[in-house]
Amino acid sequence: MHHYQPHEILIERGEEHAPVVRRTLQGLPHVPVRSVDTPPRTAADGPPDPFAAGKKSLVFTRNRARFLEHCPAGTPGLVCCNYLVVSLISNCPMDCSYCFLQDYLANNPLLTVYTNVNDMLDEVAAAVDRQPWKQFRIGTGELSDSLALDPLLGFSADLVPFFAQRKNVVLELKTKTDCVDGLLGLDHNGRTVVSWTITPPEIAEAEEHGTASFADRLEAGRRAQRAGYRLGFHFDPLIEYPDWQAGYRQTIDRLFSAIDPQGVAWLSLGSLRLTPALRATMRRRFPQTRLLSGEQVRCADGKWRTFQPLRVTMYRTLSRWLRHAAPSVPVYMCMETAPVWEKVFGRAPGCDRDVARALLSPSAPAIDAPGRLW
Amino acid sequence: MATALPSLESYAEQKRVSQPTLARWLAWAESDQRALLGLAHALQLGENQVRDFLDWLEEIVLRDGGSIAAILQRPEIRRPLQQRQSRNDKLKAVKAALRTLRYPRLARLERELHSGVTALALGRQVRLAFPPAFEGDEVTLEVRVKSAEELEAVLSRLRQRLTDGSFQRLFKLLDEA
Repeated sequence: MHHYQPHEILIERGEEHAPVVRRTLQGLPHVPVRSVDTPPRTAADGPPDPFAAGKKSLVFTRNRARFLEHCPAGTPGLVCCNYLVVSLISNCPMDCSYCFLQDYLANNPLLTVYTNVNDMLDEVAAAVDRQPWKQFRIGTGELSDSLALDPLLGFSADLVPFFAQRKNVVLELKTKTDCVDGLLGLDHNGRTVVSWTITPPEIAEAEEHGTASFADRLEAGRRAQRAGYRLGFHFDPLIEYPDWQAGYRQTIDRLFSAIDPQGVAWLSLGSLRLTPALRATMRRRFPQTRLLSGEQVRCADGKWRTFQPLRVTMYRTLSRWLRHAAPSVPVYMCMETAPVWEKVFGRAPGCDRDVARALLSPSAPAIDAPGRLW
Repeated sequence: MATALPSLESYAEQKRVSQPTLARWLAWAESDQRALLGLAHALQLGENQVRDFLDWLEEIVLRDGGSIAAILQRPEIRRPLQQRQSRNDKLKAVKAALRTLRYPRLARLERELHSGVTALALGRQVRLAFPPAFEGDEVTLEVRVKSAEELEAVLSRLRQRLTDGSFQRLFKLLDEA
């Protein structure tokens, strides 16, 4: 994959000496740097594609809002897995055709890095240390890829040791890259899960622009697994296309011929879901995308998904293959309704804590099969 | 006698087709532009309808290959245009045919469910409704009766369809595609 090179670096005045800024400037000695009082919201050379232009400016600023948030998948009507997110980066150097950030960050697309990492760690410590009896899962892959900028920013060296010291929280670093070098020498104490988005290689190549190839993601997974990390794999978005069965079958076979399922913490499934605004943006930015050609319909939450009977067929098929390849690994669904859970797994979780418990504790009852109930 | 086609630009102006929609249309190969113009002119499509046709036609070609002109020449699209019926009915029929090409499995499921419901032969007093676009898993059964005897007859038919497995087959259709 291509490593990120911004066209310019903008630093909020007063943040020049933040460790992450110093590390980045050492790694990008030839990129022009400007100090600014207030970072702009859009790139100067915005049109005709302000979102793409925004990715070329790397902004360092303090985050003045909360870092720790509930994952937006906790939408009413959908089964939630009680996942929390922290965002140290906003926007992503890669450019997947289906990425929700195109819509979500349309008015604020500059690739922004928050410098006050310690504030974020303090906020997480306050939340998780206050409730030592409760298990937390926290991810950094909501508003950006967790590892795409790690060779420059080195955030994993701040995060992984911090989470290693805590018994009631797991950090998930979610990525589509092969940027695991910075993780390999860290003392993670089993409290960090490194996870990859998995799509069939032909879909990754056509739709996930600038990401690592499927083969490179597998190799990165092997290296992380050798370093003792538990792994996660997210078949999300799950793409319906004419050869989806053959494509996903081969992908799962290749995945588990490279990765030891014993070291996999969780697997997830989530249908491609697109807001009407995102569909319009995709049509404009990626007119050749084939992802809009699936049999998608508008659902109750306003998002377009593959129509339910076909979606259920896909979920059942993949969960069967995954259970066969990795029998002891929990499989869950993201942003799905209780009726769909019932159709796929025979039963919906009683509450979101059931899903979280099953993912965090190997002794907890399983969530993904009627015979393996909690 | 066939009327001459206007230019795409003058049709767009006459129908107040927006600039972005016109730009998308003009980005097509000339033969594709003309093919849709012929259809649009025949059916007097406005902005929203044109946009639906652009979306569906582009999506079909991206998925299946071929050309837009070839799709619009297919018999199931041409046939309604040649029939003696109102413009609205022609539009409905053409859109239904195009929707079947765009959503083949969804359309097949709709057909199978329709046949399944017909085969139940529950009579005019019973209406069976499926969730919109099959998003959801509840089937609504509406019964209209004027007397206890009528209700007894309807319930008896329903019970019989349960016993002979007809309802089960219907629910199975809804379960997977």
